Amino acid sequence: MYPASDLQILDESRTCYHCGEPIPHGVDLSVTMGGAARPMCCPGCRAVASLIAESGLENFYRQRTVYNERPLQPEPTAVEQYRVYDDPQLAATFTTTDDNGLVNASLLLGGISCAACTWLIEQSMAGLPGVTRALVNLQQARLDIQFDPEQRQLSDIFARLERLGYRPRPFQTSIARQQSAAEYRTDLRRLAVAGLGMMQVGMFAIALHAGDIQGIDARYQALLRWVSLPVAAFVVFYSARPFFTSAWRHLKKGSLVMDLPVALAIGLAFLASAWATISGTGQVYFDSVVMFTFLLLLARFLERRVRQRQLFTWLDAESSLPSAVVVRRDDQWISVARIALRAGETIMVKAGETVPVDAQICKGDSAVKEDTFSGEPLPRSVAAGDTIYAGTVNVEAALQARVLGDYRDSRLAALQRSVDVAQTSKPRLAKLADRMASWFVGRLLLVTGATALVWLQLAPEKAFWITLSVLVVSCPCALALATPAALTSAASALRSRGVIVRGENALESLWGCTHLLFDKTGTLTQGNLAIAQVHPLGNIDRPALLALAAALQHYSSHPVAKAFSSIQAASGFDEVTYQVGAGLEGRCARTLYRMGSAQYCRELVPDFPAIPDDHFYWIGLCRDGAALAWIGLDDSIRPEAGAVINSAMRMGLQVELLTGDSSSQGPLLARALGIETVNCGQTPQQKMAHVQQLQESGAVVAVVGDGLNDAPVLGIADASFAVAGATDLARSQADFVIVGGDLHKIIESVLKARHCRLVVRQNFAWALVYNLCAIPLAAMGFVQPWAAAIGMSLSSLLVVANSLRLNR
Amino acid sequence: MDSLYLLIPIALLFCVVAIKLLLWAISSGQYDDLDKEAWRILAEDEAATSSHAGDKETASQASKKT
Repeated sequence: MYPASDLQILDESRTCYHCGEPIPHGVDLSVTMGGAARPMCCPGCRAVASLIAESGLENFYRQRTVYNERPLQPEPTAVEQYRVYDDPQLAATFTTTDDNGLVNASLLLGGISCAACTWLIEQSMAGLPGVTRALVNLQQARLDIQFDPEQRQLSDIFARLERLGYRPRPFQTSIARQQSAAEYRTDLRRLAVAGLGMMQVGMFAIALHAGDIQGIDARYQALLRWVSLPVAAFVVFYSARPFFTSAWRHLKKGSLVMDLPVALAIGLAFLASAWATISGTGQVYFDSVVMFTFLLLLARFLERRVRQRQLFTWLDAESSLPSAVVVRRDDQWISVARIALRAGETIMVKAGETVPVDAQICKGDSAVKEDTFSGEPLPRSVAAGDTIYAGTVNVEAALQARVLGDYRDSRLAALQRSVDVAQTSKPRLAKLADRMASWFVGRLLLVTGATALVWLQLAPEKAFWITLSVLVVSCPCALALATPAALTSAASALRSRGVIVRGENALESLWGCTHLLFDKTGTLTQGNLAIAQVHPLGNIDRPALLALAAALQHYSSHPVAKAFSSIQAASGFDEVTYQVGAGLEGRCARTLYRMGSAQYCRELVPDFPAIPDDHFYWIGLCRDGAALAWIGLDDSIRPEAGAVINSAMRMGLQVELLTGDSSSQGPLLARALGIETVNCGQTPQQKMAHVQQLQESGAVVAVVGDGLNDAPVLGIADASFAVAGATDLARSQADFVIVGGDLHKIIESVLKARHCRLVVRQNFAWALVYNLCAIPLAAMGFVQPWAAAIGMSLSSLLVVANSLRLNR
Repeated sequence: MDSLYLLIPIALLFCVVAIKLLLWAISSGQYDDLDKEAWRILAEDEAATSSHAGDKETASQASKKT
């Protein structure tokens, strides 16, 4: 069904200088930079790269650490789209005007990938006349810009950003975003206090430990203990608070988590040390307490930071809709903000534009591409009376339609709501660390109890301090560091390979994953039509037929035309006209040619044969008096899909195809790729139900998808991937976002996750071996505070060093 | 050695001041974007010396690998 010659063959050795994606065969674009021609994969990339080069900012390409995102539209849209932001009423929602008459605006930027982007944007904005200040916050993907409204308009700034390859939007403060920023600062404060406290207490501790070995005057010992006490107390009460609250919260629910042994160790060691200081007896462990707190906070901070970058560059479904809409008011077509639309008004959606609201067509014939909703790769033909939905793309001709309601009533909003539902019902796999913790806490308490009992018999006066040293020595620092260190390391390794890890337990879920479910359109296939079959009806051979077709399609902007763009067109055509919803017509050597639907061809050739009995998207080709061919188009498979599915199966994963497309393309594709289980024509709800059913039967499910309709299923899956070109809604739900288009990254991620599991297990094994050696020694009364401190640091260092192996 | 009774509290006082300053800096947003600042301190340097053509290729290759 899929002869290799018909697939788009990619030249793997050539990748785009701008976005890093392979350059399709037949594309020959480049931009001269630094004295060399840099290859480009599409006009969009070329436009961005040449703008950067012309502005003298090509240094950017040497500075960046990650490839840029491929611009979504082949050609950046005009400034017109952003004109609405010049409307003072709309602009007021995200700008302020200061006393000097300068305007301060906050913009959210999609597509920021690394620190070099901030440099590029700041340099390029600062070069614009009228802009007084431009500052990019990478963590929040936000641009704060100050400009003189006399010299510069907001729409210019938006357009300029888009030409640089970023997707600007007004920055709206949301509760989640504020919360995350506040949490980040709180974490950083705790970490800073713990770090400074650790240095102070550590300084005193070295003197105390040296004193233990060499001998120290009792009054100096008391002094050092007394000054350590307030510092350690501040660290414990301020920095270590989250461990206590989390342990207590889970304990109330009856679950034992890793925070419990951590809180026990910190709390008991601190209380005992404080008692030793006040009563002037026993031993102090202040240094171990603060060091432990600092190391753990650091590990958690780093882990969270790796995941939270770019958390808010992908927004909800609504942000994918155009902000400006052309509407008929007072017998004139004017551009207004989408949010100002009212039900019953008539809007105009031009060809190539995204439909802004659910609306009923009142004039015009066209086709809308609904693949993100339904998974159907082919556009649906629509005419007056049909409903078009927000978020779909009008591909053929301009439509006039009556607005049915605002965003909240739209089908898109309903989809967004089901995504939110999916997220709350996502099953939480028990974390390995927490299972370990509940096992560990029980054993530890038993050992401690036994030690206390034995020493009460042998030497009651030593019993308290020895029991305490068992608790301190068993300090689960290495145990608690084992997972965050490995996860951080694996996540940053994946990141440098073009996979962004976002989900909290994503790697843990992935390493145990049993089922891998693929969406079809845009995931296994490229989401573009390509020529699959040619049925000659006359005596003209295949290459000549395709050349004729290409010559006609050259004049069309329909998605079908793309399939012919790489074919050498026949020469001599003129007077080519396009009939909406029907096809193309043109003359060559005074003969009339037509290409399009069966009905359109029959107008010219009454006995044009019926559509062949295959489930392709068929286009007829005929000339005056003779039927020439049926050409079958089809969504082409990604070249690496077969290899990826093969590797997945060899790794022992159950591979399934889950698609919204109800045509027979699904089973055909599955057979071509060797997938046995296929579910076609699935609504987002059915997809969710299917995954839930698998989960109930004990499977751990990973899902790969890209469209709006995949978002709910991505939300509910144990681990989920969004591939290149995915909608923002899908990306915001996915645990892993693959930046380039390469499906091999899925396999790479699974392998990395499995390697991560191995490292975590090694870490646990080491931490337990350390405890098994140290606890008996402590129980026999051999361990001094300095030995406990050294043992704890060394075991933690070993765990971190082992985890760093994942970074390669 | 009795000077310790004075010097250690003074050290602690410095520590308190340092913590205060750091907390103020965090609250005023100076640490909100750790990646950018960490990158920028190196980048300005390189931008100034980038006229040395020999370094260009190696620099761009190195940055792609990371």
